[in-house]
Amino acid sequence: MSGETDRPLVVEGLTKDFGSVVANDDVSFTVNRGEVFGFLGPNGAGKSTTIRLLLGLLKPTSGTARVLGADIRDETALTEAKRRIGYLPAHLGFDGEVTGEAVLDYHGEMKGDGRREELLELFTPPVDRPVREYSTGNKRMLGLVQAFMHDPDLVIMDEPTGGLDPLKQEAFNEFVREERDRGTTVFFSSHVLSEVRRVCDRVGILRAGRLVELENVEALLHRSGKHVRVHASDAAVAAIAGLDGVVDPKRFAEGVQFVYAGDVNALLGELATHDVSDVEIGEPPIEDVFAHYYGSEESADGGDDAGEASDGGGEGDGVETPNGGDGAETPNGGDGAETPNGGDGAETPNGGDGVETPDESDGAGATNV
Amino acid sequence: MFETARYEGRRRLRGAAILTAGVGAYAGFIVWYFTVLEGVNYEDVFRDLPPAMLEAFGIESLSTIEGFLGAQVFNFVWLLGLGLYFAYAAGGTVAGDIETERMELLLSFPVTRSRLLVEKFAGLLVPMIAVNAGGGPIIYLFVVAVGETVPLDHLLLAHLLSIPFLLVCAGVGLVFSVAVDRAAVAERAAVGTVFVLYLVESVVGGADAYDWIQYLSPTHYYEPTPILIDGSFEPIDSAILLVAFVGLLILSQVLFERRDI
Repeated sequence: MSGETDRPLVVEGLTKDFGSVVANDDVSFTVNRGEVFGFLGPNGAGKSTTIRLLLGLLKPTSGTARVLGADIRDETALTEAKRRIGYLPAHLGFDGEVTGEAVLDYHGEMKGDGRREELLELFTPPVDRPVREYSTGNKRMLGLVQAFMHDPDLVIMDEPTGGLDPLKQEAFNEFVREERDRGTTVFFSSHVLSEVRRVCDRVGILRAGRLVELENVEALLHRSGKHVRVHASDAAVAAIAGLDGVVDPKRFAEGVQFVYAGDVNALLGELATHDVSDVEIGEPPIEDVFAHYYGSEESADGGDDAGEASDGGGEGDGVETPNGGDGAETPNGGDGAETPNGGDGAETPNGGDGVETPDESDGAGATNV
Repeated sequence: MFETARYEGRRRLRGAAILTAGVGAYAGFIVWYFTVLEGVNYEDVFRDLPPAMLEAFGIESLSTIEGFLGAQVFNFVWLLGLGLYFAYAAGGTVAGDIETERMELLLSFPVTRSRLLVEKFAGLLVPMIAVNAGGGPIIYLFVVAVGETVPLDHLLLAHLLSIPFLLVCAGVGLVFSVAVDRAAVAERAAVGTVFVLYLVESVVGGADAYDWIQYLSPTHYYEPTPILIDGSFEPIDSAILLVAFVGLLILSQVLFERRDI
């Protein structure tokens, strides 16, 4: 049990073969205590399979994992460990007929609810209404409350911010950072790069069931580059596209779009010298990141598995895309570069639109495939 | 302890009340109808029916209130209606939660699968007990209200001995519920199985060569009409039902333990 306190999650060669598809293929990684670990990958990569394996919902074909010291193949040990695990599934199948309050009462009876009131001040689902009336965002908030209310040591979340409006997403990010600072270990999956980079200390990238990369966030950001779209004259476009760090430029009628992996200041400097009618700088869709750095589907296998690669510091400059919570290529004001929310929590949400209408927004954190 | 059983039981309170009220209303109608039919010569009415039909409907002595209740209320409602109802309800217990992915949340609790299964099943005891504990007095009061009498101990036995039978029907539903992923499939399969067993017992009862088939059906081990008329029953029948129920429960647990969610 010596490793338990330092390494709440140890995954060793975890493999799940569903027959038709190998959803997890020899996945190995560890998550350290007090760390926020992002589990990144396109939809269908097998992230949820890993999570379900970790919780004992699925039986591994081979390999295993230890969760808070408990082997996932040992139901008794894992059941005991679950007292200290919080779980937020991707799809929240709450009992629709009862109120949020009744759901939390039941969950509280099963595992404890010492922090319930505190969490309900932060995340605000309408607990006196039946769950079937909840919007996606409200369900998500109810899910977050139940995942954290028994003050678990390890929290596992599958796509945690889907359906949250940008303000709540930012509150969530801030909350996760605070939890980490209290010593809670957080493991969550996402297919949205921006979400992961805001809160995670390290990330693992899963693709087609295989862990293709394991590195810190700085390194990942450095490698992933920016998605840039510029509207300008042909001459300006030619100059901009000629910059170092421009990858895969694609012309369109009024300008050019490309992935930019160089120094952002150089890009801004170049843009400033031209008559640019519009510019968008955002994060590349995660699929593009894969396409650029891991090649096509087939060659993914050749990727360097599971090394703790951390190749050089990130950009460290501070000019980045806005924190829209969208992860897509559209920065929220049309203004492109903005000060980022470095590691500090940034209470600058986007735009000021969408502010307090948590209810019907359910696409906020999603995606850009 | 038993948080899940309590929660699941509470969820079924409303349904149990509606079920009990519905069964009570039907029993009231039957008792009233008995008074209307008084004086009809049943021997004549049913003389031409094939024996298998008489057997199927448990038509033995319709001229007494006990026989009439046995045939019209217990054979129809308890053996068939409630048997199907509990098979259906149990069919939805686990498969429904798997379908809505609620099961993921339940299995994140510090509780073993086998315990979760037993407690979820225990929630079904609420309607099972309610319909007997509520239905019995309602039937008795109706009978008294029309100036008839039915032996209290016989009525009590008929209700009590229905419990093992209903447990087996629910057990059939539970096995389907843990074996498939969709509630509708489990519910239909459970209802279909119990209904086929009911038919098989009714129809095959007359054919000597195949009469062993009737022993497969839970309906063979619970015969309410003789219980109501003269209080006669075979304790071994109830024992067989209880053993079958335990077997189904264990089978469900094994299946549930082994499956991927």
